[in-house]
Amino acid sequence: MRTLRYQRPEGVEAAVSAVNATPGARYLGGGTNLVDLMKLGVETPDLLVDVSGLPHHDIEELPGGGVRIGAAVRNSDLAADPLVRTRYPVVSQALLAGASDQLRNVATVGGNLLQRTRCLYFQDAGKPCNKRAPGTGCPAIEGVHRNLAILGASPHCVATHPSDLAVALAALDAQVLVEGGTGPREIPLTELHRLPGDRPERDTVLEHGDLITHVRLPAAPEAVNSAYRKARDRASFAFALSSVGAALEVRDGLVHRVRLALGGVAPKPWRARAAEERLRGAPATPEAFTRAVEAELSVAEPLRDNAFKVPLTRHLAVRVLCDLAGRAGGPR
Amino acid sequence: MDILRTPTDLAQRGHGGVGESASRPDGVLKVTGEFAYASDLWARDMLWGHTLRSPHAHAEIVSVDTTEALSVPGVHAVLTHADLPAATHYGLEIPDQPVLAGDVVRYHGEPVALVAADHPETARRAAARIRVEYAELPLVTDESTATAPGAPVLHPNRSDHYADRVPHPNVVHHQPVRRGDLAAAKARAEVVVTGEYELGMQDQAPLGPESGLAVPAEDGGVDLYVATQWLHVDREQLAPVLGLPRELVRLTLSGVGGAFGAREDLSMQAHACLLALRTGRPVKMVYSRDESFVGHVHRHPARLRYEHGATRDGRLVYVRGRIVLDGGAYASSSPAVVGNAASLGLGPYVCDTVDIEALALYTNNPPCGAMRGFGAVQACFAYESQMDRLAAELGMDPVSLRQLNAMSQGATMPTGQPVDAPAPVAELLRLVRDRPLPPPRQWETAVGTGTGFDLRALPGGLSNTTRGEGVVRGVGYAVGIKNVGFSEGYDDYSTARVRLEVVNGEPVVLVHTAMAEVGQGGVTVQAQIARTELGVAKVVLHPADTRVGSAGSTSASRQTYMTGGAVRNTCLLVREEVLRLGRERLGDTHPGWRGDGLWLRDGAVVTAGGEVLADLAQVLGDDVIDLEREFRHRPTEPLDPENGQGFGHVQYSFCAHRAVVEVDAELGLVKVVELAAAQDVGRAMNPQAVVGQIHGGSVQGLGLAVMEEIVVADGARVRNPSFTDYLIPTILDTPTMPVDVLELADEHAPYGLRGIGEAPTLSSTPAVVAAIRAATGLALRRVPVRPEHLTGT
Ligand SMILES: Cc1cc2nc3c(=O)[nH]c(=O)nc-3n(C[C@H](O)[C@H](O)[C@H](O)COP(=O)(O)OP(=O)(O)OC[C@H]3O[C@@H](n4cnc5c(N)ncnc54)[C@H](O)[C@@H]3O)c2cc1C
Ligand code: SF4
Repeated sequence: MRTLRYQRPEGVEAAVSAVNATPGARYLGGGTNLVDLMKLGVETPDLLVDVSGLPHHDIEELPGGGVRIGAAVRNSDLAADPLVRTRYPVVSQALLAGASDQLRNVATVGGNLLQRTRCLYFQDAGKPCNKRAPGTGCPAIEGVHRNLAILGASPHCVATHPSDLAVALAALDAQVLVEGGTGPREIPLTELHRLPGDRPERDTVLEHGDLITHVRLPAAPEAVNSAYRKARDRASFAFALSSVGAALEVRDGLVHRVRLALGGVAPKPWRARAAEERLRGAPATPEAFTRAVEAELSVAEPLRDNAFKVPLTRHLAVRVLCDLAGRAGGPR
Repeated sequence: MDILRTPTDLAQRGHGGVGESASRPDGVLKVTGEFAYASDLWARDMLWGHTLRSPHAHAEIVSVDTTEALSVPGVHAVLTHADLPAATHYGLEIPDQPVLAGDVVRYHGEPVALVAADHPETARRAAARIRVEYAELPLVTDESTATAPGAPVLHPNRSDHYADRVPHPNVVHHQPVRRGDLAAAKARAEVVVTGEYELGMQDQAPLGPESGLAVPAEDGGVDLYVATQWLHVDREQLAPVLGLPRELVRLTLSGVGGAFGAREDLSMQAHACLLALRTGRPVKMVYSRDESFVGHVHRHPARLRYEHGATRDGRLVYVRGRIVLDGGAYASSSPAVVGNAASLGLGPYVCDTVDIEALALYTNNPPCGAMRGFGAVQACFAYESQMDRLAAELGMDPVSLRQLNAMSQGATMPTGQPVDAPAPVAELLRLVRDRPLPPPRQWETAVGTGTGFDLRALPGGLSNTTRGEGVVRGVGYAVGIKNVGFSEGYDDYSTARVRLEVVNGEPVVLVHTAMAEVGQGGVTVQAQIARTELGVAKVVLHPADTRVGSAGSTSASRQTYMTGGAVRNTCLLVREEVLRLGRERLGDTHPGWRGDGLWLRDGAVVTAGGEVLADLAQVLGDDVIDLEREFRHRPTEPLDPENGQGFGHVQYSFCAHRAVVEVDAELGLVKVVELAAAQDVGRAMNPQAVVGQIHGGSVQGLGLAVMEEIVVADGARVRNPSFTDYLIPTILDTPTMPVDVLELADEHAPYGLRGIGEAPTLSSTPAVVAAIRAATGLALRRVPVRPEHLTGT
């Protein structure tokens, strides 16, 4: 019989060294993803290091206008935080568009960013899957994949990253603060998650033992005018088929600052840099928004059953930008 | 032995006779979380059972080695096909399902071996150490692979009574319904519309997983506490498998967390009993959520092809239909599903020329069987879609076209059976059509949000997806017909035992039936009936068990009719006995005893005029009246195998819906704003429960329309066995549901009532889809309709 050990250290150092010393160890946030995967036999840790005892429960205003969020902050607390709601509404909206009240009450910021894909094959320990069992193949390419990637995938894996929060954070150039035992370091959120390439088993650039301690949101005045929208199979309590997080500042009818990220369409939160590039200085019109988003999506490579995500994402992104520009409606 | 019992022995004092909204005796317990479900059962010293299931949908079992599993500490027994003591197969109607697979597995998740251990996790891990060698076989997954030349025959050497008349051994049952001269009718038709339709596989999605506790008894028998829909049919199947006489197999209903058909077949019953008898210890089995999704039957997915011919002024001239249902690996209730689909395949309309055939296939897909509205649901989606197409073709209003062709009392079914009770189809349609439409763009007017709009009222709900840009409204209608009770000559009955005595001066009625309370509210209605007929406030419901005669199944909308009827009849006999005793003992004390029309009220015998003659305490003294009687509905007859003619059904039930949707086609989002229903219930025994059933059925139909589907892929495997991946409507997906209830008595039924549970599930799906079609102009031939069907690619 397998035994599973559980620890709840109160210091970062103890937590990190415990995980570093045990190859089969995992950090445990709210457990809403990890424990599910353990039940499915996808994760089989022999040590759980609970991070809820670590001093990462605060949301602090930083000098200069940014905000630092502890990795153990619960999703519901982050969504309700007045500072976040006024300065970065996209973050609050992304969280509230995800999961359910009950899940958000336990899910943590760190766990949310590192949750695993909802690809059905990944969750079925009896099936091949390059992400779960490297080298076994990717049945999703021929199989059930309507919810999977149209951007950034590889012939080895077409999974999507399911986090809504991460999409908002990607748009805001958030920094992820990590402690791995050799001193703290910062990783831009847009570089935290990897594209699969030929190593789909590695979701992120983190090494075993790396602990997320905080997320830092830099000052972004345009984020006051930001929003998150999501399309899914039912009105609540479901993952994104496609989602958009955006912030926009318009001056004299021209796009002055813009941030755009897409979710549910790629193996990582997809920062739409090509679209942003085209938009800077462009007229803030539905036509310009459409052209920019189309440019971003021109590299999309849909699978047999998920081509609908291309128009869906285009419509969604254009709508959000129009909304933020104060213009009603998108082009029909 | 300590056994944690589910409190099904519910006592209720108080109010609420027939026709009143008495509250549920189990309501508070359920809402406060105190109700014990079957998964809460517990016995001292009990072991936990676990099922090893096939990873393949079709394979030969080459070898099974249990050595390693048996050596796991804590394991008490491992059973395979070779260990079965007696009958090796069971089945609701056709015993084609192995208790544990022998030479071959026919679906993904089929039980292959069992383990009993002192901890559920030990049992699970030991099961993983059973070595089974499989040799995969070619798959049969649809009509073409099932009937192709050289197709593997899934059940060779069939001896069931459909075997001789099916066109192919991979067809479970085939039922044509033919009436009228098709060639002549075709010549008369001025307008013809044809269409092909498809329904995905819906799951009953009961919240309570399959569970039960089997306790071996000193007499060599077994007591099984279980969540099921029909105790006695479980016992009929269990006794031969256990090699025991029926009397030694005793079942008691435990708390049932939803059923909807999923508990009509055996799941863990035989397995737990076998393990208990083998180990001599109580054995509990509880399926996990993903196991539950493969551990019960689903709604038959279907492909339907229809052709409707009509005159220019909209009268149906002929209807042809072909309904192919995928029954999966075992028969389950496929024959009844086929019978319903064929005989109700025209819908609630009048048409003299009908040529409909329905069939169910054997395939290697997950077995399909009973689910709310079975057979009639699939047909209704297709015939109602056709009525809309016909209306469009004729340039007619879809409601008027339906009303023009609507059946009414006196009509003849395509089976030749006369409709000899009210059939207010046109009136139900009128009721839903005449309701004022909900105001448009309600997200702008919703109060209390402070933001100027209410996300919850928008397509996409809390996903914050749209602000109402490009949202288009559509309205759709549908009406359906469902049979009530067991049809086609089945000897369908229920039994009730009623005991009346006086305890501490207060008369008390005990009602004892084997009816499975699965949430439908039968327990409430039984108490209401007893109160009404016996005029007694205190009614105690005995736990449902096999010590009393069969109640039949809690399915086919039949329990209020059947067990309600049985309770009523037995109560009337008890009342007669009270009056006989009263006349005998007190007849001289008052001339009123000699009069007709005596009845019981407020614990006393009263005259027709309401004068009290005596208290029940005076009449009964220490005597107890305890009677058990069966109740039958009127007989039916089998449908003719060639043309489907026959007096096949007991009663029909009708419901109509109007769906109002708002669709954002660019984003593929549908918001059902309102789903209005009108249903004839004959008699609203408990008005609140009636509305509850109509609401529940409507939402289950909505789920099929826009989200619910078991994904079967990658070699006939269930791919979404969880509530994260199999989506059912949340409260935010649930619309406002105004309900009109008609009470037109059916003189053949107790109290004139009609079974109501299933009818609302039928028309809800096509009404929602019709509304989406109206909003988008898309053809939408398949349910569920998903975002990708609206956005296009
Ligand atoms: C039914 C359902 C619906 C859902 N819907 C949505 C949705 O719509 N949108 C959405 O975004 N999410 C959704 N979720 C996912 C949910 O948001 C995540 O499960 C949750 O955010 C994970 O947080 P957690 O703290 O519970 O993580 P855990 O399960 O505890 O951990 C997840 C992973 O992160 C690691 N980890 C945790 N904390 C740290 C840390 N500080 N440093 C390093 N590693 C760490 C763990 O080792 C583990 O690998 C849904 C989940 C469910 C079950
Ligand atoms: S898409 Fe990725 S996660 Fe899914 S099966 Fe393929 S490799 Fe596994």
